[in-house]
Amino acid sequence: MANVIVPIGPHHPALKEPVNFRIVADGERIVRLELDLSYNHRGIEKAAEQRDFIRVLPLLERVCGICSHSHSTVFVKGIEEIMELEIPPRARFIRTIIAELERMHSHLLWLGVAAHEVGFNTLFMWTWRDREAVQDTLEEMSGNRVHYGMNEVGGIRRDLTPSEVNAALARLPHLEERIREYAKMVNDQETLLIRFKGVGKLSRDEALAYGAVGPTARASGVDYDIRRDDPYLAYTEVPWNVVTDTSGDVYGRTRVRIGELQESIRIVRYCLENLPEGPVRVNAPKTAPMGEILSRYEAPRGELAHFIRTNGTDKVERVDIRTPTLANWTSVALCLVNQNLADIPVIVAAIDPCLSCTSRITVVNSKKRTTGIVTFDELRKQSHLRASMQERR
Amino acid sequence: MSVLYEMVKNLLARPFTILYPREKVPIPAAFRGRVVINDDTCIGCSKCSLVCSVQCISMADSPKEIEFKGKKVQRKKKPRLNLFRCIRCGLCERHCPTGAIHLKNELSESGTDRETVVT
Amino acid sequence: MTDPLLTILYILVFPGFVFLLIYSLFIEFLDRRVTARMQNRVGPPFFQPCADVVKMLGKEVIDPDGVDRRIFDAAPLIALAAVMTAFLCIPVGGNSIIRFQGDLILVLYLLLIPTIVLFLLGWLSRNVFSAIGGIRAVTQLFIYEVPFFLVMLAPALMAGTWSVSEIAHWQQENAWFLLLQPIGFVVALVCLQAKLERTPFDIPEAETEIVAGPWTELTGRRLALMHLAKYASLVTGSALIAALYLGGPMTPWVILPVWLGWAAGFFLFLVKTLAILLVLSSIKVATGRIRIDQLNAIGWKYIAGAALVQVALVLVMNFWQVGI
Repeated sequence: MANVIVPIGPHHPALKEPVNFRIVADGERIVRLELDLSYNHRGIEKAAEQRDFIRVLPLLERVCGICSHSHSTVFVKGIEEIMELEIPPRARFIRTIIAELERMHSHLLWLGVAAHEVGFNTLFMWTWRDREAVQDTLEEMSGNRVHYGMNEVGGIRRDLTPSEVNAALARLPHLEERIREYAKMVNDQETLLIRFKGVGKLSRDEALAYGAVGPTARASGVDYDIRRDDPYLAYTEVPWNVVTDTSGDVYGRTRVRIGELQESIRIVRYCLENLPEGPVRVNAPKTAPMGEILSRYEAPRGELAHFIRTNGTDKVERVDIRTPTLANWTSVALCLVNQNLADIPVIVAAIDPCLSCTSRITVVNSKKRTTGIVTFDELRKQSHLRASMQERR
Repeated sequence: MSVLYEMVKNLLARPFTILYPREKVPIPAAFRGRVVINDDTCIGCSKCSLVCSVQCISMADSPKEIEFKGKKVQRKKKPRLNLFRCIRCGLCERHCPTGAIHLKNELSESGTDRETVVT
Repeated sequence: MTDPLLTILYILVFPGFVFLLIYSLFIEFLDRRVTARMQNRVGPPFFQPCADVVKMLGKEVIDPDGVDRRIFDAAPLIALAAVMTAFLCIPVGGNSIIRFQGDLILVLYLLLIPTIVLFLLGWLSRNVFSAIGGIRAVTQLFIYEVPFFLVMLAPALMAGTWSVSEIAHWQQENAWFLLLQPIGFVVALVCLQAKLERTPFDIPEAETEIVAGPWTELTGRRLALMHLAKYASLVTGSALIAALYLGGPMTPWVILPVWLGWAAGFFLFLVKTLAILLVLSSIKVATGRIRIDQLNAIGWKYIAGAALVQVALVLVMNFWQVGI
């Protein structure tokens, strides 16, 4: 049979968000992948340049629904470092609690979605049922199940009352037991094992060469976690471990994420039990001095980086968001070659794609009816032009 | 085997679903729901309108005498909300100096009466 | 030979078409409810499958560009008609309506037709997803059909007859084939799950991989009929296994008066088919989907192997009995 182009997306039951995969397949074997990521682009980076530091945080939170606290925290942490502002310890601990709760809800969601992609809907229903405990905790603490709005420059917005702390602590033992059950299920269930083991293998050298981040890289043996290697918030004060695995396939990534779930429960419990007293915010100046910072954060999907440039006003001059999913797409294109057509949803779901975070611009040429991205040489030409214009000014 | 055991256990147990609206769940106090503006404490400083992240608050004429920090203040305007654009972020509540604008933990209800829907 | 008018009544109403349709909708409700409860959800109310069929019948029929409309209209009808005819040969209470030596072969042949129709629909909808789904449906057909035929053959060999009703009757005097041929029973259940294209064998219809496979371009009344055909073949398949392995509607001893014996047999038939449904639903809930190449490996190694072993055992036992 000749090569057939199977279009996965932009509308497809396997995808939670629109993306265009054109898979060139020979029978059931994949030859090549052509990717178009622009369907969720909303121009957030440009819109952020017109809002002051109070109003920009809800915008940046809404880059993604699942990792909303990540975007908000990494930005606020960068601005506070430019302003040389030290936030009180209670604020740091509460930010850590919300961050780890977000990681838990994201990984439980991922477990359900991965099971759904192989048709195992039972595990999907069960993990999402247990995720409700995490969502209830987040709703009690912050007021909303997603888009928590806890961060502001100088600390956090609301404090945790003792009853909220106790209610959260009371939910943790049941969650721990359920996660142990799921770890057992993933190791015993035959159909999961034969669909996940050996599928989408990424070796350590490939992971390093193609810039994979997060659980995708840690499952291939790359021992790198921003929380330990470039620490922030309360991670130096809490005892926790980095979870890695050596198999590099989808099964390895499942084990890494379940391990991270167990570590997150321990971190949340430690922070809730040892919450320092004190204020939850300090008064922040309205404007930030001139500066540039690359602020990094370990989002549930990997390393999230915001590059922020400020110019002495109360707005940022430029914020550039490099999400972990963007770094992981090349590894997907690599893993998919010579795999089965039936494994596409599994391999794509294994990097935990979040397309709202990732979307990049696509250039549409309506006369020639083509779409494409801006190449690196064109970008360099543009930046040289800009630099020479600024010199003349 | 753990899957089979759990399946049988679930078959004989009560489902996890909450049959809304017959059964209801208590809504936490922190939930950001209906926006309520207190007419007796608002001093018309327009801070909520400046801080709103989606620019959904406009100020409408509403003269009234308000007691603020022990002194009598003449208020000129009162905030009006465009509910189509409000994203319930809560910035207005956070930055209001008197606590006049507040997000109650009620789910906004639908209704035929303007007073139930619009603040 | 009974009164022809009475025969037509049996075929159209009970135990024929109307009973089959009502029972299919009821079994669909039970299947979805049991699945939901095992997953800790509530599940649909009892009238849900009926509401679904009525809704689907009322929807607009969309013809993709360049597709042959007449075959698309006729194919689901042919599938449903084949399954309904097969049901007439299976005993529901007492003996079946159509009864002759070789009606077992007729049933097995007619139950093949829905899968062939799916392949035809997949090939003719000019659509990558449907083509892949249709090819997978036929590949799966080759893999499970051989063991299925073999384990349907094994009870016929032991009972010495080719008629489904007589095999059920034979079990009334001797033991159930469940006890005499347990390997065959297990293989029959697994192959029935594959025939009905339910998890772990719902490969042709894999929702997350190929949208809906051959079902993608079916809309409106075509989808309603194909949906009914799917659940009617669930009823027919369960009834066939109940008749061949669990004794069908035969009571363990002969009950008099005749009408009471017939009613007890019908009640037992319902209980047995529901028990088989429970087992099939549990398999569906407890597993995920496997790939077609993995099914190839498992099917030809273990399932076909087990079926061959079962038939060999039956031949040896027959030879030994005849010899003695």
